[in-house]
Amino acid sequence: MQSEKEFTTWVEDYSDILFGYLLKHGLPKEIARDILQETFLAAWRNMDSFRAEASVKNWLFVILKNKITDHYRKLANKVSENSIDLDTVGEHFFDNSDHWNKGAYPQNFKGNFESPVETKEFYKLLRTCGNRLKEIQNAVFSMKYIEGLSSEEICKELNISSSNYWVLIHRAKLQLRACLQKNWMEIQDL
Amino acid sequence: MKVSLTCKKAVDLISKKEEGKITLWQRFQLWNHFVECSLCKLFNLQNKSIVDSLPRLKNEPEELLSANEKKEIVDFSIQAK
Repeated sequence: MQSEKEFTTWVEDYSDILFGYLLKHGLPKEIARDILQETFLAAWRNMDSFRAEASVKNWLFVILKNKITDHYRKLANKVSENSIDLDTVGEHFFDNSDHWNKGAYPQNFKGNFESPVETKEFYKLLRTCGNRLKEIQNAVFSMKYIEGLSSEEICKELNISSSNYWVLIHRAKLQLRACLQKNWMEIQDL
Repeated sequence: MKVSLTCKKAVDLISKKEEGKITLWQRFQLWNHFVECSLCKLFNLQNKSIVDSLPRLKNEPEELLSANEKKEIVDFSIQAK
């Protein structure tokens, strides 16, 4: 009973910070919830081995990061199974002669996301557009541009090759900008 | 060496530039392309604004779990043991 009480305190004290970490790594909410659950389950099962450790928070983060790595390894395997084709990176964006497709022309955003009033809306949209990317793309993108990790660190953590990294991040950038253009305009038109 | 770029290649180089992986010659090619292609020039500016604004997402307020969600985590773990 004593350990149940202690475990409950761990969940109460640290689940929010662990959950926030997962989301900032670009993991979709449902998957973040699953990984969080697995992390605490592992912590509960191994509570006895924790005793000697110094900080509960650090220990939980070690478990969490292992779970994230496992998750990404599975995703990365799927990526290499479907091997990414370099030539298809901009397939919807460019025509046969490698110029912009008319439907994909970059246009001015109608909103000005530097203005404080619109900033909040812009960030909400940025999140939404990020979540529309494929999970592995969003992971690479968030790690690079939100977490500020280097490409080497990202390749290591996700277990992907540098050419796959490059394709994923490049494609994510094209899609994100196009999504912002489309939706930012819709917001402004309302 | 050919100076002109296709748009697809220019956009490729914009991404590579961010990774610090383009040569001086490629920089020149890009600059030259922007002079004649307003679409890629706009793409470049917007891409830069987006990339620059992304680190600010890190400071967004945390999304918190409800008391009920926390209870579920506890209950599930204890029952699964």
